[in-house]
Amino acid sequence: MSTFFLVIGLGLCILVFFVLYRVVFGPGVFNRIAAISAIGTKTLIILLIMGFVYGRVEMFVDISLVYALLNFIGVLAASKFLEMEKEL
Amino acid sequence: MEVTLLIQATDDSFRILEDARNQAKGLLDSARILEDAREQAKGLLDSARILEDAREQAKGLLDSTVGVTSETRQMEKQKIQTIFQGVQETKSGFQNFIVTFSLLFVFWILLSGKFDMFHLTIGVICSIVVAHLTHDLLFANVRVGDTMVIVRRFIIYIPWLIYQIIRANIYVACLALSPKMPIDPHVLRFRTKLESDISWVTLANSITLTPRTITMDIKDGEFFVHALDKRVADDLHAGEMEDRVAHIFMEADHIYIQDALDVARIYVELRKWV
Amino acid sequence: MIRSSEDIIIRTVSRVLVPFIQLFALYVIAHGHYSPGGGFQGGVILGASLVLLLITYGPKETRRHISEKSVTVFSSLGVLIYSGIGVICLLLLGNYLDYGKLSGILHVAPAEARALGILGIEIGVGFTVMAIMFSIFFDISSGGKPPEDEKE
Repeated sequence: MSTFFLVIGLGLCILVFFVLYRVVFGPGVFNRIAAISAIGTKTLIILLIMGFVYGRVEMFVDISLVYALLNFIGVLAASKFLEMEKEL
Repeated sequence: MEVTLLIQATDDSFRILEDARNQAKGLLDSARILEDAREQAKGLLDSARILEDAREQAKGLLDSTVGVTSETRQMEKQKIQTIFQGVQETKSGFQNFIVTFSLLFVFWILLSGKFDMFHLTIGVICSIVVAHLTHDLLFANVRVGDTMVIVRRFIIYIPWLIYQIIRANIYVACLALSPKMPIDPHVLRFRTKLESDISWVTLANSITLTPRTITMDIKDGEFFVHALDKRVADDLHAGEMEDRVAHIFMEADHIYIQDALDVARIYVELRKWV
Repeated sequence: MIRSSEDIIIRTVSRVLVPFIQLFALYVIAHGHYSPGGGFQGGVILGASLVLLLITYGPKETRRHISEKSVTVFSSLGVLIYSGIGVICLLLLGNYLDYGKLSGILHVAPAEARALGILGIEIGVGFTVMAIMFSIFFDISSGGKPPEDEKE
């Protein structure tokens, strides 16, 4: 079972790199913000899978909750900042 | 002399005859018009009867559709009655506080998972503090309904939503994996019958959580939804999700406790005057 | 200057989320010795919930929940709790922050007294971190200008 989770986690890590391309080269700010939010979602799942691998899910659930929360607030604050800037 | 009199008389009689004929013609015309009118009236009557039938059918349909939510209607009717009997009864902040507290405490137990005295005490204290700070946030705009019922129905709604998400996931996977990629993306725009902001947001988030559709914006009850293909649009217009959300927030029957409360206030004033 | 958000989805979602975020922050503070977290992390999450309120509802609505004066009070109160527990330990003839000595006044076993002392310290740290984080964000977002509704 552990190898199963390990393989899935590695697959998600590889998928993160595809999204990272959009963050670095993506045209415009909106693409970058959406890509960062997608990376945050993937990281959350990877954290949970790491919890299964290490056998301490209850600890990693807390961490992933905090991560999701800060991801949400961060994306919201970034969009707010761009809204104030008026130019994209 | 005689002849001229005769001619005059015949002229007169001719004129009278002519008049009579004209009048007769006018009468005939009006009779025909009346006949037409009667025909039309008959037609109208028929159409009225058809309309009546249609209304009967519609009422039957309405009854059968509202059958799902008859529980809601019963409850609201009872509430309205109690409101009118003991005319002053508005929802107190204290009730909100209690519901918020119990929700938060359940959340705490889910997080903590420790049942010894020390942690439960800390949990109760923290829940009371947070509920005191934010009880006006969690249930700010819910119309005066039974919050426990809303919470219960919301929990019942979640499995259905998960089933929908799984179904849509498989559908989108089939679309993406098929070699022709038969997608037809477009933006839908529709108006909902939902009325409170929390039900709008529940519907919008349900739409976004289901793959192949994303809610882009809500402006005054008008939804802008990006959909992946044509079938999705039909699914959305069928509006099963909307009906279910309306059922959760007790908006199905358009009898609002809030309206009854507003009327109740006027009723009290009137009773004072009389 | 941050204006309140017009978007109904963001407004409603943050309205519903804020109580749960705050409770989660208190959970992180209270369970610091079992799971990851503690005073600092919990304080950051509490501050984040207030920042969420600020960026969705604007400064005027946020000030109804927590005013600048109470932020100042909280930031000092946290330091007071922290140093107060330390000084109490000093007065009980121990070292600074020597929680074991607290068992004398709490009437519990030294191990339990140590747990309670750490909990108190973490509550103090959490208060201070929350208040300082929120006030930094508040001051930077207002650009140093006084709020509009307090001008007159």
